[in-house]
Amino acid sequence: MTNFERVKNIIINTLEIDEVASITMGTSIMDDLDADSLDAVEVMMALEDEFDIEIPDEDAEIFKNIGDIVRYIEEKIN
Amino acid sequence: MFDTRVCKLLNIKYPIIQGGMAWVATHELAAAVSQGGGLGIVAAGNAPPEVIRDEIRKARRLTDKPFGVNIMLMSPFAEDIVGIICEERVPVVTTGAGNPAKFIKKFKEYGVKVIPVVPTVSLARRLEREGVDALIVEGTEAGGHIGELTTMALVPQVVDAVRIPVIAAGGIGDGRGFLASLSLGAEGVQLGTRFVCSTECTVHDNFKEMIIKSKDRQTTVTGRTTGYPVRVLKNRFTKEYLELEEKGLSFQELEDFGAGRLRLAVKEGDITKGSVMAGQISGLINEVKPCKDIIEGIIDSAIEQMDSLLSMKGGGGQ
Repeated sequence: MTNFERVKNIIINTLEIDEVASITMGTSIMDDLDADSLDAVEVMMALEDEFDIEIPDEDAEIFKNIGDIVRYIEEKIN
Repeated sequence: MFDTRVCKLLNIKYPIIQGGMAWVATHELAAAVSQGGGLGIVAAGNAPPEVIRDEIRKARRLTDKPFGVNIMLMSPFAEDIVGIICEERVPVVTTGAGNPAKFIKKFKEYGVKVIPVVPTVSLARRLEREGVDALIVEGTEAGGHIGELTTMALVPQVVDAVRIPVIAAGGIGDGRGFLASLSLGAEGVQLGTRFVCSTECTVHDNFKEMIIKSKDRQTTVTGRTTGYPVRVLKNRFTKEYLELEEKGLSFQELEDFGAGRLRLAVKEGDITKGSVMAGQISGLINEVKPCKDIIEGIIDSAIEQMDSLLSMKGGGGQ
């Protein structure tokens, strides 16, 4: 499984999304997937558990889309 | 009695904090709660920074006890208010409507204790990691802006998830609620609606009277469709607002319709067209009295209630 797929799965499970086909690197979890700020916190915490990393708020604030998240995580784990 | 970590952290006699209610939590109320042995809070709401500096200084003239300021993080002045709190050496800040993470470093530099209001376990865990000093865990029973979970369900879940002290809020109005909160693992309570109905609170008498007359089913929630739900007492304003919501008006249209309504109720006493924000506990509140009496009444009745619970333990026989 690629890192994108792992991130995508976490997002799908946390936000309970049915239509998974449309999710790409360019998808924004707040603008496109209707997550509110509390949902976004849940996603960040789930990603931290999945990848065993810490994502401080100041980093999380600059994520615009799923691509930003994947790139950030890859930088952290490599 | 009830000398918890919250008392030590905030340097107060009783672990009772007053909610940071915009327009309602003025220096008069904050000072009276602090004088009564709790922690009073001046609410910044959307007020301009210099108004808040003035409020802080006025509160200082009325009490030498610690008090705090509540910052509404969505306020356009949030950053300036943070600066003023630091400059004025306010010992405690409570925050609402957002994540205070980016201000924590500055508060720490100035020795300001940071206590955010949180509606979920995840945000509680995250903010503990960011270094906040305690958490106000607020259930949906509260008045004003609310989350989804109830105090009864949320407080013990957060208590289990964090090590820092938890302060329970939402639906607490007397000694029984206070003691129940401690049973859930909280080490303090925050009261909003109860302190609105105090002698020192400067809201219009009509506002207080409406709470006093309220029964259990009097509150409703506006703004569920916008993602910013608000608990408020039912009146003509809420009826019209909910009708417009049902018609599917946009967030901005609803915002415009609701603009200025809280001030209208608090300051002008228009409880028909104004927004009378109050919690589900309104039905329990039946008199206006001084903050000191409210606080001491809570402590006395909590002790009484604790004795009565202990008597249920029986004589060790069964």
